Amino acid sequence: MKIFSYSIAVIALVFATTLPAYALSINGFAESAYGSRISDDTTREDSYNLLEGRLQLKGAHSPRIMEEWAPELSFKVELLADGYDERLEFIVREAALSFTPTDTVDVRLGRQVLTWGTGDLLFINDLFPKDYISFFTGRDDEYLKLPSDALKGSVFTDLASFNIVLMPVMEANNSVTGTRVSFYDGLKRSITGEAADRDFIRPEETTENIEIAIRGYKTVGSFEAALYYFRGFYKEPRGIVNATAEDFFYPKLSVYGASLRGPALGGIANMEAGYYHSREDKGGDNPLIENSSVKLIAGYSRDLGGDLSVGVQYMVEEILDYSSYKRGLSAGEPARDELRQLATLRLMKLMKNQTVTAGLFVFFSPTERDAYLRPSLGYTFTDAFKVTAGANIFTGKDDHTEFGQFDRNDNIYIRARYNF
Amino acid sequence: MKFFLILIIAIVLMNPALADALTADEIVDRSNLAYYYAGDDGRASLKMTITDRRGRDRVREMTLLRKDIEDGGRQKFYVYFHKPTDVSRMVFMVWKKTSGDDDRWLYLPAIDLVKRIASSDKRSSFAGGVFTYEDVSGRRSTDDTHELAGDGMLNGRAVYLIKNVPVDGSDVDFSHYIAHIDKETFLPMRGEYFNKKGEHYRTIEVLETTVIDGIPTVLKAKAEDREKGLKTTVEFSNIKYNIGLEEGLFKERYLRKPPKEVRR
Repeated sequence: MKIFSYSIAVIALVFATTLPAYALSINGFAESAYGSRISDDTTREDSYNLLEGRLQLKGAHSPRIMEEWAPELSFKVELLADGYDERLEFIVREAALSFTPTDTVDVRLGRQVLTWGTGDLLFINDLFPKDYISFFTGRDDEYLKLPSDALKGSVFTDLASFNIVLMPVMEANNSVTGTRVSFYDGLKRSITGEAADRDFIRPEETTENIEIAIRGYKTVGSFEAALYYFRGFYKEPRGIVNATAEDFFYPKLSVYGASLRGPALGGIANMEAGYYHSREDKGGDNPLIENSSVKLIAGYSRDLGGDLSVGVQYMVEEILDYSSYKRGLSAGEPARDELRQLATLRLMKLMKNQTVTAGLFVFFSPTERDAYLRPSLGYTFTDAFKVTAGANIFTGKDDHTEFGQFDRNDNIYIRARYNF
Repeated sequence: MKFFLILIIAIVLMNPALADALTADEIVDRSNLAYYYAGDDGRASLKMTITDRRGRDRVREMTLLRKDIEDGGRQKFYVYFHKPTDVSRMVFMVWKKTSGDDDRWLYLPAIDLVKRIASSDKRSSFAGGVFTYEDVSGRRSTDDTHELAGDGMLNGRAVYLIKNVPVDGSDVDFSHYIAHIDKETFLPMRGEYFNKKGEHYRTIEVLETTVIDGIPTVLKAKAEDREKGLKTTVEFSNIKYNIGLEEGLFKERYLRKPPKEVRR
């Protein structure tokens, strides 16, 4: 099904060759980034986990054919000279064709970044792929989201609007492997770095394994309500094929969810819920596969005046069939909490006529006794030139918790970007 | 008897001196209609140049769409950014209401994120310049009391001088402002803002106007904030009124897929 993405590239090329150079405006940036580790680790490099140069080019073009369908081609490509992995990478973050065949239908086909849901850096019904390695090591927030090769159809009716996304090949997160970010290896029962030798086995590329994500939404007054459905796979390899060989797979997952967002108490409040149905472990009694769960977020953000804004969220995650889960644990294996709770805080302050951005994002779990702090400071020298510095600080009482396991990956980073 | 009554009414209506006797509230309402509600909808390109104390310029270019739901009442705005290039294709959308906070959305194209933003602070800067969100979409006339402070001349034209004092001074940065409103076009031509110490610290001034489809229209304006050491110039172009914008255009659909009206 790779043919799917290649066909987009071919379409793009055909249009590109029929296009006078001036009709396409290209923007982008060149960026240098360096992130230094501030704790010892067992990853490939001990002193840094980010050292790279990146060139991004993006553009869009509306070809002069079938103009009644308002076709538009958009692309975003990158050249990444990655000093950590010692390689030069060509990355296509976007190559998509969008068109409007009727007044009430939009279609977008190709590689695209997709986002929905109401959480702030917490995701329940957004099951599009993410890259936490980029997020943890100090790349721009943009890189938390990975693109998907997808067909997105949208239908707009008076009753409600609907998005239907088909991903022919399962889209997985870029999971932590130990090379750049060390983690708690449940099989070895210890924090593991480069020595980890895990294999992630992706589902077969069959029509049955096509991932589907649907959202129906409606704005009522100032409130936005949405219902979500997803049928596909866990984005992280939450199933074990063979423990000794450290082979993991992505179990089948269905998610049913809902969200509501709107004004409250002088700010914006949001609620989102999702039921994760682990289709290969329905009773929760297979210790090798993630159990079903229920997740809930409540959030509130507001403007405090003087370009200072604050946002708080609380998330609860309940493992279903918990007694079965407990029974399946092997002797001495640390158990996850039945009800994991997670709070977040976002503070953002703009200064010096909005040229200085000071931000702090904190994840804190009272049940797991761990936390993840993301302070950052950005300065816009000119419209083109911007420097951002920040840190990723992990701490936790135990080695096996969500953020506690990354305790040795603390880093400070600096990025300089030139936009053109 | 009836004849005399009609005669008196006719004389009153025809006498410019008497017709002139609008109250301060009426002048402010007419000025709001002239400046913020011209036509039933509109489209314009906007270039905003922000100059700091050291003379460094920052430039924002955007396309604005506006639709009035009712004259003097609810409105919808769609602001599509072209420059700076790092925010190109970003969209800012506002549903302006007559009571309570406006609804605001921001679309960040790099991560395909539709974000809802709190709007309680209307005096915060729009895009980093001197103009505030309120300057862009209009301050509710009921937020101030208005007093006709006299008549004046500005660049050879007769203006009303209106003193505006906020009803609730706790959430604004000024103690009062004086609006110079053109007697003929009712466009606000100059605003002088005084801080809580009574010092004139902020000025908004219209530099150039024209008439488009019979509607007096601002082409260029400048704002200066001496406390912040900041100047901001806005230049409008490609202005069109009554282009038949649908209300349905001001929806999430068009945040993710910009309508043809804003692409260039």
